[in-house]
Amino acid sequence: MDLHILDHRLRVTSISKSGLEQYTHPLIKLIFLRNRTRSEGLLTQTQHYLIRCKFFSLTETPENYTVVLDEEGFKELQPSEHLQVEGSTWLPLNVVSNGNASSSSQAVGVTKIAKSVIAPLAEQHVSVFMLSTYQTDFILVREKDLAVVVETLAEEFNVFREEGGESVPVHSQDACNGLQRNGREVPHATVHPVLIPENHFCVMSLDPDTLPAIATTLIDVLFYSNRSKEDASVDQDMECIVFFSFSLIDGYISLVMDTEAQRQFPTDLLFTSSSGELWRMVRIGGQPLGFDECGIVAQISQPLADSDISAYYISTFSFDHALVPEEDLASVTEMLQTQRMSS
Amino acid sequence: MSSGYKPDILWSPHHADRYVICDTELSLYRIGPAGSPETKAGTLPLSEETAATLLAINSDTPYMKCVAWYPKHEPECLLAVGQANGRVVLTSLGQSHNSKCKELVGKEFVPKHARQCNTLAWNPVDSNWLAAGLDKHRADFSVLIWDISSKFSPESVPAEKARLSGDVDSGLLVTKPLYELGQNDACLSLCWLPRDHQKLLLAGMHRNLAIFDLRNTSQKTFVNTKAIQGVTVDPHFPDRVASFFEGQVAIWDLRKFEKPVFTLTEQPKPLTKVAWCPTRMGLLATLTRDSNIIRLYDMQHTPMPFGDEVEPTIIERSVQPCSESIISSFAWHPSAQNRMVVVSPNRVMNDFTVFERISLAWSSTTSLMWACGRHLYECTEDGGQGAAAADKDIATKMRERAQSHYGHDTVQVWRNHVLAGGDDPQLRSLWYTLHFMKQYTENLEQKQQSNKQSLIYSGIKNIVKSSSGTTETRRCWSGSDRQTDVPRYHSEERSLALQLCGWISRGPDIDVEPFLKSLEQEGEWERAAAVALFNLDIRRAIQILNKGASAEKGDLNLNVVAMALSGYTDEKNSLWREMCSSLRLQLKKAHLCIMFAFLTSEPGAFDAVLYESRVAVRDRVAFACMFLNDTQLPRYIDKLTYEMKEAGNLEGILLTGLTKDGVDLMESYVDRTGDVQTASFCMLKGSPGEVLKDPRVQCWIENYRNLLDAWRFWHKRAEFDIHRSKLDPSSKPLPQVFVSCNFCGKSISYSCSAIPHQGRGFSQYGVSGSPTKSKVTSCPGCRKPLPRCALCLMNMGTPVSSCPGTGKADEKADLTRDKKLAQFNNWFTWCHNCRHGGHAGHMLSWFRDHSECPVSACTCKCMQLDTTGNLVPSDSA
Repeated sequence: MDLHILDHRLRVTSISKSGLEQYTHPLIKLIFLRNRTRSEGLLTQTQHYLIRCKFFSLTETPENYTVVLDEEGFKELQPSEHLQVEGSTWLPLNVVSNGNASSSSQAVGVTKIAKSVIAPLAEQHVSVFMLSTYQTDFILVREKDLAVVVETLAEEFNVFREEGGESVPVHSQDACNGLQRNGREVPHATVHPVLIPENHFCVMSLDPDTLPAIATTLIDVLFYSNRSKEDASVDQDMECIVFFSFSLIDGYISLVMDTEAQRQFPTDLLFTSSSGELWRMVRIGGQPLGFDECGIVAQISQPLADSDISAYYISTFSFDHALVPEEDLASVTEMLQTQRMSS
Repeated sequence: MSSGYKPDILWSPHHADRYVICDTELSLYRIGPAGSPETKAGTLPLSEETAATLLAINSDTPYMKCVAWYPKHEPECLLAVGQANGRVVLTSLGQSHNSKCKELVGKEFVPKHARQCNTLAWNPVDSNWLAAGLDKHRADFSVLIWDISSKFSPESVPAEKARLSGDVDSGLLVTKPLYELGQNDACLSLCWLPRDHQKLLLAGMHRNLAIFDLRNTSQKTFVNTKAIQGVTVDPHFPDRVASFFEGQVAIWDLRKFEKPVFTLTEQPKPLTKVAWCPTRMGLLATLTRDSNIIRLYDMQHTPMPFGDEVEPTIIERSVQPCSESIISSFAWHPSAQNRMVVVSPNRVMNDFTVFERISLAWSSTTSLMWACGRHLYECTEDGGQGAAAADKDIATKMRERAQSHYGHDTVQVWRNHVLAGGDDPQLRSLWYTLHFMKQYTENLEQKQQSNKQSLIYSGIKNIVKSSSGTTETRRCWSGSDRQTDVPRYHSEERSLALQLCGWISRGPDIDVEPFLKSLEQEGEWERAAAVALFNLDIRRAIQILNKGASAEKGDLNLNVVAMALSGYTDEKNSLWREMCSSLRLQLKKAHLCIMFAFLTSEPGAFDAVLYESRVAVRDRVAFACMFLNDTQLPRYIDKLTYEMKEAGNLEGILLTGLTKDGVDLMESYVDRTGDVQTASFCMLKGSPGEVLKDPRVQCWIENYRNLLDAWRFWHKRAEFDIHRSKLDPSSKPLPQVFVSCNFCGKSISYSCSAIPHQGRGFSQYGVSGSPTKSKVTSCPGCRKPLPRCALCLMNMGTPVSSCPGTGKADEKADLTRDKKLAQFNNWFTWCHNCRHGGHAGHMLSWFRDHSECPVSACTCKCMQLDTTGNLVPSDSA
């Protein structure tokens, strides 16, 4: 197995609901005025109005809009009271199976890497920020933790760092300044409350060439949906949650939306699996989780991996969200229940 | 494959006149000759000769990303279309009457998770297999290999699960691929390997190329590289693969897959298509975005990767199929050599043939050969009788002259111009000059006056300069008592110059009578008359002219001239003078013209004679030596010398002699004619060795020798070398090969046995031998027998030749005793590889019929190791 440290330096930000108007323009630029070529990095860019941002993710939650983007894109966002920025630079990691992975296990996404990546990083108290897409799963770690990450994962993986289109092997000695614990307190893992809304979600993709065809719908759903205003407060007994995620990473588009929103899009343009699978959400956290606590992803992915249930996992500024197949929801609920009891 | 909606183009694999343009729809065209009766109004001109007719359009498949044409003959026009959502649809253009085709058309192959289909490839052998390369999905494979003959499996798509997929009801969906490869990665391009149809080469997003074997999919060969777009196998060399990324093309050898064999120079713009030419070995065409040129790389002579790290030789060039428009895509014609059709973004098509580079070679015998594509052309000089000698190429002339022993007559030197064909006045003049020089030298030798020997070869220019003690005489017209008013000058040097001009033979007394006789004999009446006149003998001149008029084929006009001449008067204002000086210009014969010019000119002002270029230089110089004074003469000679040098006129050798000036003159002659043969022979005659040391002269000689070698005139070459070493002893080559005795280790040649106790002196074998009465078949040193000939089993040994001379004086004599040398047939010969050998004659006859060494059990193919061994000299001995 290979672990690639991708050539992006990312910032994690959040835009408050009320401040969205102020950021509509830069966000639309980031979504639509991208360079049209798929392969990253080595373009001869002549059109200056194009945004060079190659990693962009926008997730709407009831609380706010989480925007994860690279430094090139970050320049577009003017600081204001409505923009919250997490202080660190994050680096995305990507596990590449190299084609050698046994295809016996059907479980995909976070589940697959739970044991090999998430758990060891949790043990080393490295905070991770997960971002699953239609195409792959990104594990974001803080740049300052990179030495520990490489040291921890070098046993299991061949680690490569992508620089200017080349994959350069990284050896743990290079990055290691002595293997030590992260130096943080090891608080007893708190078990966070979970929320399971009623919506059914689908994970989809889109041919970037046809993005203009759904532009109006996308803008409508992202910026002009008034759903959030109707029930701005989130309470335990609400049935549906507002959740919409759009990401455009290295030319690949990924969309996560509930079936309600999906109806607004033309059916023939969006890609999904031929089985038409649907997903249910498990939101983790009663309070905003912050960025320093470790082991949150691990505590949910671990049991999923044990029961071989595939999952998507999308971290946002305040909470984490796992998506599990609808048919597995019952067993997941049961599992989480047991976990709470035992702690 | 193109992305977006720029048109791409595909040739039918089996119909050389059909192709498909695909952008948002598929259009089938037929290509045919332009202007033929069947062309209708709807045809599109593709080139001056060809036009395309639209046969069919298919717009059933939206969101096309890539297209691949079914590789088998039947069904003929079946296409697989890869769509933006990853589905692969089989469709057809034109005729659909074929039942198999009907069954297949409309079939769809659906991946589990929708994403763009990047590339498609039919298996070249098992044509039911279609490989599709898809974009990345977190939980799915990127390469799906479909079996197009597989039965529909509607049960695999449960109805309730199919809410998001469109038309399940059609019943033509296939969802279960035969093979799945490449998890967690995107496949940007792929191709089947022609050597083994179970193997698939694919290029993934994660910067690697991988070869999968379908018989064991867990095993794969892979390599990390950036060059992951457009992998394509060379149809002529199944181990060679080109792949590209952005502007860079990498060429791989699958037998040494660790790194590219080489990469081509990077283009500033990203490449959009790279394709091997199917009709021409090792030709790769590349196209970059927004470009109107196609770049071609010719890897004809690229070495294989196993060898040393040699920098490959790739010839790069570019072609511009249509000048005005940029090219969207191109496709090589499957069978017509070097032909392609290009298409522009607005669908303007162009039929274009890449012109093959021409390689050209001259043979050593003036024929010209050139290769273009698969054709070989030969062009030979018209050797018919009609071709005038003057029009012949100098190489042809030199060849003919070499065959007639030109240059080798050292006794009657003038005869060489006859050997050269006898039709070149410059050569004639040159050889006569050399002849007179030699004659004079021989005369001097007899008289033991060798102080002037060097002067004679330095030309009239230098002879005249050294002139002193000139006397002036005024003579009467012979046979008349009238005093001439023309002074005539005499000196020793002037008479030497006249000798060189050939007017007088020897001695101080000027007697031109023998010269006049010889001219009369040759029928040069006008010239003889002029010479007689210049010697102030009008009567003799008139007599010669009369003789000329009455001779066979004589010109009766000469009588008229003689009459005019007889009326000569020295009165300044006479009618005769006036008429002659104006009418002489109408005389066609130059010599007649200068005769009247001489008679009518003022004393000392003979420009009309001296600068009459139709008259031979030697006659003008002789005239100048007689009638110009000591100040006029050197000035005239200098001027004439300069002219001759500029023009490269060999007549000027008379003036320059074989000096540095002469080499300068010869240089411009060689520059003008290329005749290194004459230059070599001429300069070898120069007795002062300085001219031979001139690098130009050495260059001519070497070139002439090379020329003889190239013509396979080896005997002529040898003769020339012998001739050369006689005249220039320093050019004699040093001995290079020695034969030493197996027992005592000494050279078996004569010199060491003659001086037995002086170490191992060696001398050239074959030239010398033992002078003692001992048997030639034993070593002269230890008297043990020499090796045996492998064929006749006799002991070797060359019969005695002449004793080697000890002094330099004998050296020349030594060479003349050629007949005493041992017969070549008896010479030692041996193979440098197996070291077997024998008598040269035996060996030659053996290898005429055999290829292996005559020694039993030796399998050495001796003669084949000798690259020149099988060549036959083109001049027989």
